[in-house]
Amino acid sequence: MRNSFLRILILALIISSLGVLSIYSSTYQKEGTAWQDIHKRQMLWLIIGLACFFIMSQVSYRRLWDFNYFIYGVAIFFLFLVFALGIIRLGAQRWLRFAWFNFQPSEFAKLAVIIFLARYFSRKSVDDISLLSSKFGIFKGIILPFIFVAVPMFLIIEQPDLGSGLMLLLVFVFLLYLTNVRLKYILILMFILMLPLPFFWHFLRDYQKQRLLVFLNPNIDPLGAGYTVIQSRIAIGSGGLLGKGWLSGTQSQLFFLPESHTDFVFATFSEQWGLLGSSLLLIMYYLIIRQGFIIAQRTQDSFGKLLAYGISLLLALQVSINIAMNMGLAPVVGLPLPLMSYGGSSVLVTFIALGILVNIDRTRSVF
Amino acid sequence: MRKHILSFLVILMFVALFAGLLNLDLLQGAKFRRLSDSNCIRLIAQSGARGNILDRNGEIIVDNKISYDVLILPQELDQLDRIFSGVSRILGIGVKELKAVFRRNYFSSSIPVTVASNIDLEKAILLGEYKQEEPSIIIQPRPLRHYPYGPLASHVVGYVNEIDRWRLTKLEDYGYKTKDIVGFGGVEEKYDYYLRQEEGGLSVEVNHRGKFMRVLGFEPPSNGKDVQLTLDLGIQKISEENLSGRKGSIVLMDPQSGQILALASYPNFNPAVFVNKRTRLIAGLFNNPDSPLINRAISSSYPLASVFKLVTASAGLELEKINLSTSFLCRGSTMVGARKFSCWDVHGQQDIVSAIAHSCDIFFYKTGLLLGAQNIHDYALKLGLGKALGFELLYETGGFIPSPLWRKINKFQQWFDGDTANLSIGQGDCLVTPLQAANMMSVFANGGYLPNPYIIKAVGNLDLASKKKRLTRLDFKKSTFETIRRGLRLVVSDSRGTGNVLSGLGVKVAGKTGTAQVSHGATHAWFVGFFPYDNPKYVICVLLENGGPGHVASVVAKQVIEAMDKQGLI
Repeated sequence: MRNSFLRILILALIISSLGVLSIYSSTYQKEGTAWQDIHKRQMLWLIIGLACFFIMSQVSYRRLWDFNYFIYGVAIFFLFLVFALGIIRLGAQRWLRFAWFNFQPSEFAKLAVIIFLARYFSRKSVDDISLLSSKFGIFKGIILPFIFVAVPMFLIIEQPDLGSGLMLLLVFVFLLYLTNVRLKYILILMFILMLPLPFFWHFLRDYQKQRLLVFLNPNIDPLGAGYTVIQSRIAIGSGGLLGKGWLSGTQSQLFFLPESHTDFVFATFSEQWGLLGSSLLLIMYYLIIRQGFIIAQRTQDSFGKLLAYGISLLLALQVSINIAMNMGLAPVVGLPLPLMSYGGSSVLVTFIALGILVNIDRTRSVF
Repeated sequence: MRKHILSFLVILMFVALFAGLLNLDLLQGAKFRRLSDSNCIRLIAQSGARGNILDRNGEIIVDNKISYDVLILPQELDQLDRIFSGVSRILGIGVKELKAVFRRNYFSSSIPVTVASNIDLEKAILLGEYKQEEPSIIIQPRPLRHYPYGPLASHVVGYVNEIDRWRLTKLEDYGYKTKDIVGFGGVEEKYDYYLRQEEGGLSVEVNHRGKFMRVLGFEPPSNGKDVQLTLDLGIQKISEENLSGRKGSIVLMDPQSGQILALASYPNFNPAVFVNKRTRLIAGLFNNPDSPLINRAISSSYPLASVFKLVTASAGLELEKINLSTSFLCRGSTMVGARKFSCWDVHGQQDIVSAIAHSCDIFFYKTGLLLGAQNIHDYALKLGLGKALGFELLYETGGFIPSPLWRKINKFQQWFDGDTANLSIGQGDCLVTPLQAANMMSVFANGGYLPNPYIIKAVGNLDLASKKKRLTRLDFKKSTFETIRRGLRLVVSDSRGTGNVLSGLGVKVAGKTGTAQVSHGATHAWFVGFFPYDNPKYVICVLLENGGPGHVASVVAKQVIEAMDKQGLI
């Protein structure tokens, strides 16, 4: 029981320290105090994140059950706020500016939706201790929860942040799969989602279309949308077996690789530490996710179980999509690499999620 | 069940990611490494200086002067515009023009682009100051070939130009690259490998905008080796001045060692046009019907005419067909078979010495008929005619001495006595280069030693002169040389001698004139001789292509010797 707490804490600390090293290496040649301070800000966020981790690991996750509408409501509220400000300022916006930091509500919304879904699918009928979800028909099993997911999803895609929006959808589909909703319904949902895809294409913004086309062939636009993928592949590939060494990555340090401290931090890391370092990183990520799955499996409480699965899945999906996108195996969608990418909201939400995970394991014996 | 499938899916995803890493890092790692390097590393070449070419006393014939090139690291457009306007302000060249040159010379984003070349020192310094603001400007000193005497000794020196395809395929294995500057013709081509400079360079790191970040490494360029010639700058100048305006060649050599002291050929060319890339002038050189690029001293051959009589004379004396008391009567013509062969004058009774002095044709027709053509041919070869001398400069031709055997084998034709008569006075197919003529005369000057002419004294610190093959002794009788030498002296000293113009000089000259008949145009004029007579230090050969009678050549020789005497070079 204490085991999972320590294991997750240590793994998360190692990964996020590597993240700070990579962020430092990618910015230390840049001029200006704003750039120079970036790794310090990340460390500050890590400390705040750790605090949240400890708090969440102490506060019983059952509280989330009680507050889930409230949490969901707050997330929707912030997303609306971003949406409204975006309209007022006539520009794309993904974050809210607070006193000294930018808050990205979409990160928070991911966790909120998972809590909401876990709560929704783990309700029990009053006279029976079995789960309601096994009795859900197509409306209650698919359509109703989908509406709850679709609202934040729409708001996030509208920001525009296609990656985080689709992330919600993916988590939703996987959670459906995990609950006792019949497979037939899930397939119907997938089919319905596929149907308007060509139609959906017209609603994508030009740069989003470009990114998807570039994913199919990065060389159609080597200096524009394809540039990042090409440079990131060069960065990863040029690392070779052992890497170029810390602070010696030319791709990330001489600014050839854009976003080298946020979405493409994996390429920065991989250039400097090579195949060896990257494989170890992959293993550590896998260990955290596996720990989440183990926790989910041994939890009897269905809410805790679903919540743990949701959190692990969110991590697994974000990690693999981000790394795949770094390697040019997935289209470039704005998704941070949890724990490593620079960004307070992402770090904070990830640590909170891990804290919840640890707490589920701690309190599972209560039920 | 679904849970297991899900965890399996997650494992699958991570395995796929790992496979992706393997692919990028190991399978394609080398390729991406190269791409990464070419992303951020720029190589800036710096060339050393080509070796100088010196005369025998160490005076410079060809050296280098520094010129400055302006290069710009390719980078983003808005920055380029700023740099262009700055550079244009300093150089006084329009921005549009600079941009056009930039576009023309742009090769790849990893190679700096030359926007202006050959700018003067003052502007280079101004640009050097501007470079403090814009480190992406590179000012590159580049040594260029410099010819202080213009066309002097151009045929010996050759010229330099960008390597051509044919040479490149031959020389690729020796480290030559496209766009290398290599020698063409003369010493520049033959000793290119030694004269050639080693390129050094700078590797610098740039950022994604092409902005200079730092220097990664530097390899200093090294200069080529100097080549010292046996030419004497003073004598070479005198020769060219006196030849100038006449098609032909003048060769002066030291009969005791075989060193070439002057080697002039006219029309000549100014090698500087190749350095400055004056395309119209270069095209003019190649299209000129007088072929100024041909080195007439070694690459063209002419009938040796009366000078060849020395060969006939030596053969006759050696084979004892004639002796000192043999004399023939010259009545102005003689019958050979059914054909009448005439002399250019009526000489009366002639012995060997006076026949040489007066260049009597009848005497040598008869001597030649006594000898037979094959003997004359053999002695010509013994005296170094008819085959290439193995001279150091390229494109040497061997000349040609006909023989009955050669004609029978190659042309299936009979050899007649008339041909023998023609050969014995050096007419007909007999072809000799001016260098071969001078070389032959050396034998009579030094009393029986055939030199091995050479023009390279030293390469770098290596003294080649001491390693040269020594003169070959010809096993002729001593009296043969003495007799012919007397004849040669008489050519000048006798009042009826063909080279009498040379008699008034302060130095005793001996030699032989020649007038070669050609099928078209005026005759070629020869004078081949040596001086001072008692202790020969110089052999001189003057050939004037379509220059008229041999007398003209002896006048040119006289002027050369006079000028040398005046400058105290003898």
